[in-house]
Amino acid sequence: MLSRVADSLYWMARYIERAEHTARLIAVKLDSMVEQTPEDAASSWARVHQALTGEKTSPDLDAFDITQRLAFDRDNETSLINCLSLARDNARQVREALSNEVWENLNRLYLRLSPVTMDSIWVHTPARLFREALEDMHALEGVTYSTLSHGEGWYFLELGRHIERVQQLGRLLDVHFKVAQAPEHSPKYFDWLVLLKFCTAFEPYTKQYTASIRPQKIAEFLLFDAEFPHSICFSVDRMSEALARVAPGAPPARRAAVERLAGRLKSAVDFGQVDELMSGGVAAFIADITKQCEQIHKALYSSYITYGAETVL
Amino acid sequence: MSQPGVDAPYSNYELGKPYDEMFARDGKARAPYAALDSRLSTLPLEELNRRQQAVEQSFLHQGITFTVYNDNRATERIIPTDLLPRIVTAPEWDRIERGLTQRITALNLFLRDIYTDGRVLKDGVVPRSMIYGSKHYRREMRGLPVPHGAYVNICGSDLIRNEAGDFVVLEDNLRVPSGVSYMLANRDVARRAFPAVFRSMGVRPVDHYPLELLATLRSLVPFHEDVSIAILTPGVFNSAYFEHAFLARQMGVELVEGRDLLVNDNIVYTRTTSGLKRIDVIYRRIDDDFIDPLIFREDSALGVPGLFNAYRAGNVMIANALGTGVADDKAVYAYVPRLIRYYLAEEPILDNVETFLCREERSLQHVLGNLDKLVVKAVGESGGYGMLIGPHASQAEREEFARKIKSDPENYIAQPTIQLSTAPTFVGNGVEARHVDLRPFILHGAETKIVPGALTRVALKRGSLVVNSSQGGGSKDTWVLSQ
Repeated sequence: MLSRVADSLYWMARYIERAEHTARLIAVKLDSMVEQTPEDAASSWARVHQALTGEKTSPDLDAFDITQRLAFDRDNETSLINCLSLARDNARQVREALSNEVWENLNRLYLRLSPVTMDSIWVHTPARLFREALEDMHALEGVTYSTLSHGEGWYFLELGRHIERVQQLGRLLDVHFKVAQAPEHSPKYFDWLVLLKFCTAFEPYTKQYTASIRPQKIAEFLLFDAEFPHSICFSVDRMSEALARVAPGAPPARRAAVERLAGRLKSAVDFGQVDELMSGGVAAFIADITKQCEQIHKALYSSYITYGAETVL
Repeated sequence: MSQPGVDAPYSNYELGKPYDEMFARDGKARAPYAALDSRLSTLPLEELNRRQQAVEQSFLHQGITFTVYNDNRATERIIPTDLLPRIVTAPEWDRIERGLTQRITALNLFLRDIYTDGRVLKDGVVPRSMIYGSKHYRREMRGLPVPHGAYVNICGSDLIRNEAGDFVVLEDNLRVPSGVSYMLANRDVARRAFPAVFRSMGVRPVDHYPLELLATLRSLVPFHEDVSIAILTPGVFNSAYFEHAFLARQMGVELVEGRDLLVNDNIVYTRTTSGLKRIDVIYRRIDDDFIDPLIFREDSALGVPGLFNAYRAGNVMIANALGTGVADDKAVYAYVPRLIRYYLAEEPILDNVETFLCREERSLQHVLGNLDKLVVKAVGESGGYGMLIGPHASQAEREEFARKIKSDPENYIAQPTIQLSTAPTFVGNGVEARHVDLRPFILHGAETKIVPGALTRVALKRGSLVVNSSQGGGSKDTWVLSQ
């Protein structure tokens, strides 16, 4: 597979994952804010904003402003519409490596959201647009699974999706578990419930732990559950599997650099213990996992995509 | 019987001087159009409108678009497609096919000649200065052998039908002609819009074009196992990018950009995740000038440094060969009938449009004296740029063009205003006559193949003669009948 094609597939999947995560957070938040006091809703919106942009929001922004910024602001490089636009640009670059169904689903979604403005959705059930976008992205995931060969290209998509998922999950957990929060802004019972919904994890969690919502159990579930698709552990497993399948003809020395890092990350997650983490260590653990993902990303690029031609001639 | 100019849906259908594809002079539908005519008279306009909109949606979703830049904003537009097919009968196609085969054969012999012995120049058939002075003549190609003597492997000639109803050649596009993906996309459109009519008429298929193209590209190398082929595209911002990706998918070959390729020891490689992979044949969709910054334009970021040397060493084949542009120059065009006689000792099967070369004094005086009746074209331009349509131009525009011609007569040719034929075109509230041309695609490797179909380009503005997509043209499907 051409290195440039691998690069575009990887980023296409990352941007789609980011878009899906953004749409889900906004949809859940718009639905849940009506059950909160204005103060609690504001704290919760602030966490969403920080998880998605990495920046603190200014206190005079309300739900309308934050949704506008996270969903439709073309100047916010991680906004939903920009993520979809970048995913589509990458897909167009590798149009020949995708099926018609994948391209058309993504293209249609972008063309549908592109003209939408906040004013046009805010009056009536604004969450609906985001729920519909989520449905479209689930359909996109489905056609990707069922119309593309599960060969090297597909595994680059998997890599992009799961590296991004770990990063996004990490940031979301980070803003909820950080200890250094003023008590009036720290998450309440309802916020933990919403956190599960942000990760589509509410029902899977209750099946595992019953409906008793406890931060420690939530951390355990979202970090270490091997079967739930939005857990760190699940994504790390998929990454390891995908890394074993890409670049089958690359020389062993270059493969080793990537696989060593993947093995280290997998054992960190496999042997992580939530009891040790709860005394303030969740944030540190996540920071470590995130850093390891960045190293894998770099190794992936230097081994398979941007390697110097002189090293192989 | 619906009368053009009188009855719906043809109430605004104008039959004028030009040949009309559907209606004879007396207003009766020609025999090949009878089935379409009777379907049109029963199909409600709203239904046609619905189908038209469905097609436009589908093109947009498929990304069959080109990008227009306005005030720093990029807008994606589709190239409009008309639902109604244009029909070419079997005898008409037979003549076109033989004529184009003859023409591409002569043009390839001509190219081999001017890049080797230059016999045609020594014999005084074509003026030496016209060839050696052309900006498309590539000295670097002199003496370089080309497989099967086939310089032009992919050609898209523009034909028009004159007032007498005969097809004549307007232009040979020998460099990097595009539009073949529209020929294939339009087929889907028309087949879906008129399934019963399509089925009843014995329309010859075109879907095997990618297969024939692949066979042509393969025939450029002497071995047949594991030929590694790539399409070289300028990238996603090129207006024909959809076509490049489409052909790559249909043929199952790599789509590469210049930055994916590198040359080492005169061998061309692509950079893959597993390492470097050798490339044997490149179907390039990049102009000569941009292909190798070491030899041609050094500011080109689209090409591959060292590519030309690898080509010269015979380690990679490039289709089309470099330097073919010298033969589709509008001045050389005027000589093609003479070239056919010279190389093949045959009479041309397809005529040229009458052409005046301003480099010849007598023609120059004729052109300057008749600017209001002629179309003047700059020799090296394409896509409808750099031209004057005399009858539609203002006095001031004509005077300005006269000055340009006088200061550089060798750069201009003139042709009588050619009446492109008209064909029925759906315009929303009815069916009207619009001017059309015809671009069949000719493949020439070890043998010559012409898929029985073409891109019919339509000037969508009423009365307009400009069919170029960059200037308000659209296209429609072309049905070549098997009998």
